[in-house]
Amino acid sequence: MIKSKIIIVILFYVLKLENLFAQVSLSVNAIPRRVEVIMDGVSLGETPIRDFEISSGPHDFMLIKRGYASVDYSLIVNQSKSIKLDFFLNPIYKIKFTTEEKGLTFELNNNHQWTDKKIRLQLEAGDHLLRVYKRNKIVDEQTITADEPKHFKYFFKKKLSK
Amino acid sequence: MEKVKESKYIIIIIMVMFIGGCSMIGFSKYPDIIHNDRQPLISVTYDYGEIEINIPLYYPRYKPDNIAFQVYADGDTIFPLLSVIENPLDQVSLFLPHGVLNLEDSTNILKIMPQDFDFRTLVVPFKGIVEGRIELPINTIDFKPLIVRGQVMLAKNDSTLKGVDLAIQIFPTTLAITKSGLDGFFELGIPGEFMKSNNIELVAGTNLIFKPFRQNLDFSKTKGIFQDVRIGPSKTMDEPLYITNKHNVHLRENPDIGSTTKFLLSKGESFSVKRTTRGELFGDVEVLLQDGKMVVFEGWVAREDLKLMEIKNIFLSGIDD
Repeated sequence: MIKSKIIIVILFYVLKLENLFAQVSLSVNAIPRRVEVIMDGVSLGETPIRDFEISSGPHDFMLIKRGYASVDYSLIVNQSKSIKLDFFLNPIYKIKFTTEEKGLTFELNNNHQWTDKKIRLQLEAGDHLLRVYKRNKIVDEQTITADEPKHFKYFFKKKLSK
Repeated sequence: MEKVKESKYIIIIIMVMFIGGCSMIGFSKYPDIIHNDRQPLISVTYDYGEIEINIPLYYPRYKPDNIAFQVYADGDTIFPLLSVIENPLDQVSLFLPHGVLNLEDSTNILKIMPQDFDFRTLVVPFKGIVEGRIELPINTIDFKPLIVRGQVMLAKNDSTLKGVDLAIQIFPTTLAITKSGLDGFFELGIPGEFMKSNNIELVAGTNLIFKPFRQNLDFSKTKGIFQDVRIGPSKTMDEPLYITNKHNVHLRENPDIGSTTKFLLSKGESFSVKRTTRGELFGDVEVLLQDGKMVVFEGWVAREDLKLMEIKNIFLSGIDD
């Protein structure tokens, strides 16, 4: 008897909550194709995703594809008939970086450092800040623009050449 | 044999160089992908559906010029979600944006307001949906009912009377009947189509010993009338009180035979006796004029046409006051 009462109470609240957070039809598309979509930690599959029923309210989306920068996106989904999300992922380009200079330390985006004269890097498309150190002092600063697979050659205090 | 081995190594080295490219030789690899925190392009597009409310309308008599519709959500009656004026169509469709109605109970309200004083306003509660179509039941657009309210009292002492028969009549048709309730209150309603009739009459007290109360009701300028019913002899009528026991009782100027008849009295008329002879009684009668004024006439009435009034039991059918 008590169990059935508890079930009725639970059903009541579940139904009320369902009414409160009405379903919204979700569609996700991305460039490039076939990007894995993870919503609130659960994989929804690969794009394109069509008419996936979600509740309105806050949701966390993550889009992952090899060769592209992953996207984290948080959104409060309004109560609506449907929502369509379109993502344009940034590609990761393979960059070769060489120099003939000696005793230099290179740093990208205040974070990634190396001293090798020949190195292969994976850069997200767009601009990156290159800082050059010699004996822990900044001796050069330049911007690298990664917009395709490239081979950069560094010469001291000269603009990077392809 | 050693030459064969050497040539194999050379082939492998050439293959690696061919696959990897000459430039790979001597390159180290940075372990991490280097991001630049460039914001990805994201487009968010909502499709807000709509709610269609279909309202079938029925006009039994006349159509108003226009009808105003207002939709309220969640029991609110101050700020309408929608307010439109439409022609008097057989079906009106209203459109609301998605998700504006209350989904829990029938607390959303549709007000249908014909733009004509003679028509009544309808208030239709309904349960909301997130989006889609709501089909409401047929609503009848008709005149406002004509209402008369009041209290029935005994004129002699202002005591209220319960159980008194009341009716609204357009002679010879009775349109509505009721009985006075607790404390003598009553309410009667008739369809609004009679608003232009000028011979509507409130009749009260047909179940009493007194002459029934009759009053013309004029609904030409109002939909509701408050009419008190004061029945029986008034306070100004002194005792002893008699009552006529038949119709067409002669009220004469003098007691002698052949005296002029002033007018005829109906059954149940109150008669306040002042003087008597052996066969005749002299006294006052009250006459209610059309304009509601009470006029007192005096005269002589034959003793056999009267009986002494028993104010304790005024109901014909034995219902006690």
